[in-house]
Amino acid sequence: MTISETSKIGIAILSLNGTLDALSAPEFRNNRSVIDPEKTVVVDLQQVDFIDSSGIGAIVSASRQKRQPTGGIVLSCMNDRVRKVFEITNAQKLFHIFDDTIAAVDFAATRQKSAGA
Amino acid sequence: MKTILAFREEEYAWVHETFPCVHPLLLPLCNKPFIEFLIDFAILAGSSGVRILCDGGLDALEQYCEDGSRWGIDLSYASIHPDDSIHTMLGKNRKFCGEERVMIVSGFNFIRYDKRLDYKNLATSRPTGEWAACPGGRITLTGVPAKTALDWTLAELSLMPLDSMASFYRASMEALETGATRYVLPGYGDEPGCAFGRNVVISKSVEIRKPVSIGNNVQLLANTIIGPSAIIGSNVIIDRQSSVESSIVFDNTYIGEHLKVDGRIASGNRLNDPKSGASIAMEDPHLLSGIKKKWDIRSLPRKIVHAVAALGLIAVFFIPFIILWPLLKLGGHWKSTRADFLSERTDATLPLGKVEVDSSSAQAAIAIALSLDRYLWLFRVLTGQLALIGSSPLLAEKTRPDLLLGALTYRPGVFSYAEAEDWPATGGDATIVERFHLAHSNPLSDISLVIKAFINRLQEKSAI
Amino acid sequence: MKFSLDNIDGQLVGIARLEGRLDSSNSKPFQKTFLEWLEKTPLLVFDCSLLEFIDTSGLGAIVGCLRKTLEKKGDLRLAGLNDKVAMVFELTQAKRLFSIFSNRGDAASSFAAEPNPETT
Repeated sequence: MTISETSKIGIAILSLNGTLDALSAPEFRNNRSVIDPEKTVVVDLQQVDFIDSSGIGAIVSASRQKRQPTGGIVLSCMNDRVRKVFEITNAQKLFHIFDDTIAAVDFAATRQKSAGA
Repeated sequence: MKTILAFREEEYAWVHETFPCVHPLLLPLCNKPFIEFLIDFAILAGSSGVRILCDGGLDALEQYCEDGSRWGIDLSYASIHPDDSIHTMLGKNRKFCGEERVMIVSGFNFIRYDKRLDYKNLATSRPTGEWAACPGGRITLTGVPAKTALDWTLAELSLMPLDSMASFYRASMEALETGATRYVLPGYGDEPGCAFGRNVVISKSVEIRKPVSIGNNVQLLANTIIGPSAIIGSNVIIDRQSSVESSIVFDNTYIGEHLKVDGRIASGNRLNDPKSGASIAMEDPHLLSGIKKKWDIRSLPRKIVHAVAALGLIAVFFIPFIILWPLLKLGGHWKSTRADFLSERTDATLPLGKVEVDSSSAQAAIAIALSLDRYLWLFRVLTGQLALIGSSPLLAEKTRPDLLLGALTYRPGVFSYAEAEDWPATGGDATIVERFHLAHSNPLSDISLVIKAFINRLQEKSAI
Repeated sequence: MKFSLDNIDGQLVGIARLEGRLDSSNSKPFQKTFLEWLEKTPLLVFDCSLLEFIDTSGLGAIVGCLRKTLEKKGDLRLAGLNDKVAMVFELTQAKRLFSIFSNRGDAASSFAAEPNPETT
């Protein structure tokens, strides 16, 4: 799995490509923006075809490290398969999920602004 | 145009207690699932795509509605948070909405509409904002209206909150009584007011009084009187000399002989009075009972594999157990407290002894490292009461994990799937892992997860 | 189950308070106890305000009790049926067989309104 990172209006956007599973989870976990508790990250899952429990674990534990409980990690562009995994495990209640990455970035930026204010 | 149907779990939570066998969004009103009424209205208003938003589980709904091709539309699903505003919901579905006009129907409400009226033009030309509202939600339009001038009073549209058994009953009866003129209702009939499904067997002496709606695979035995205002679901048997009037009989229900069902809702073995909200569970199968589906044969391979593996573990750890247990018991280090836990079946609890070993001595440390505190539970796997690996057993006082119809959310096991994973699974996170594996595991992967769980516990204890 | 005798306008009326469940586990002993009450008077009232559940055996027991009081030229009247128990009576159409009152007082006084069939 590859992670390409960009930034927009101060929000880090991580575009993941491939499968987020036990092998690739550490790479996600160790990403600098993910580790930084102050940084809000938008995770673009458009190119992720499959995610297993380690993948979910990586995203969940990453969000736990953020200062903002449900604003630290924002998810976007899940495909049906990934969405169903989130729903079946009830993990969808822990995240704000968008179908468009720009909308996710806008949301994250407003959150960050109000948190910092 | 696009339509968003948004629901919050708390709006339909009451349905879980009253009618547990059906997903609230599929609750049948006059034999038509609730969500279909809304989809019909969305199509009537001219939508090409419909997205269903919910803060809870949609699994059963997705399995039923699929991609919407049945109705000729694009149906998709997404999740929201219960306190999301309309603005946030639109933001989360920006790609879906695009530049078009969006109609947002929010709340668990029955929409009163008339299929013969032209909602398409109204939807495109009404000004932005609220179209209809009720205590339980509203219909809102966004985007710029087209410039057609129209008479707003033409099309009647109102919402009725479905917040209790009483309102559900009223909505069902309304749908039945206005008949197939206002809504698209299932069933065939040669006269208006009588709709029958497939394979309905009616004895010669049966009397049918309009209006009546009957589902599929229904048997009406001799001398029964059905109606007026009777809604009968599918797979129902009404036994001889009984009458059903002003009542709703749910799917898979048997109604016995010489009974009078008047102004009631019968669901399986439960008889409900919509006016008072009273509900009684019948214990006599010849009065009211649920017609059960065949026993699920799919759980058998898993149970066998688990039992065989448990037997193996019992054999392997027999010697360490038989040496350490008496030593620890005599030393007072082995404490076992009995309590009632939730079992996999909803109608029973599971009494288990929870073992605590305080790890002061070397023997205690070895016992814990070898997971001997779980040893006695292995025997429960042989009787089928516990799985070898599953969810961590919950005390019976706790409420059952969120009902997710169509998907398994709790299966108590000797080991927990959360113990097999490496990531810190504390509290609520443990249920995420457990539910993932309950949905995706097979008996063989279970065995490898048991080994992982065992090793994790071993490493954890030896690290102390 | 408590049983008390009341004097209503010169007539002895027995009021029995039914509690909890009346089902296949206790309907037979209940009918035996009932015979003891019937010895004292054929005018009886069942106060069902604390009765929570009844199944067909319980219902059959009560109908059996009614039959026995009628044989003795008396009557059995019911009082205080809660919603759930009333539903079972209505469902099985047993409701038609009984005079039903909302409380034990009304049920007991209803005997006073009628002349005793024995004396007329």
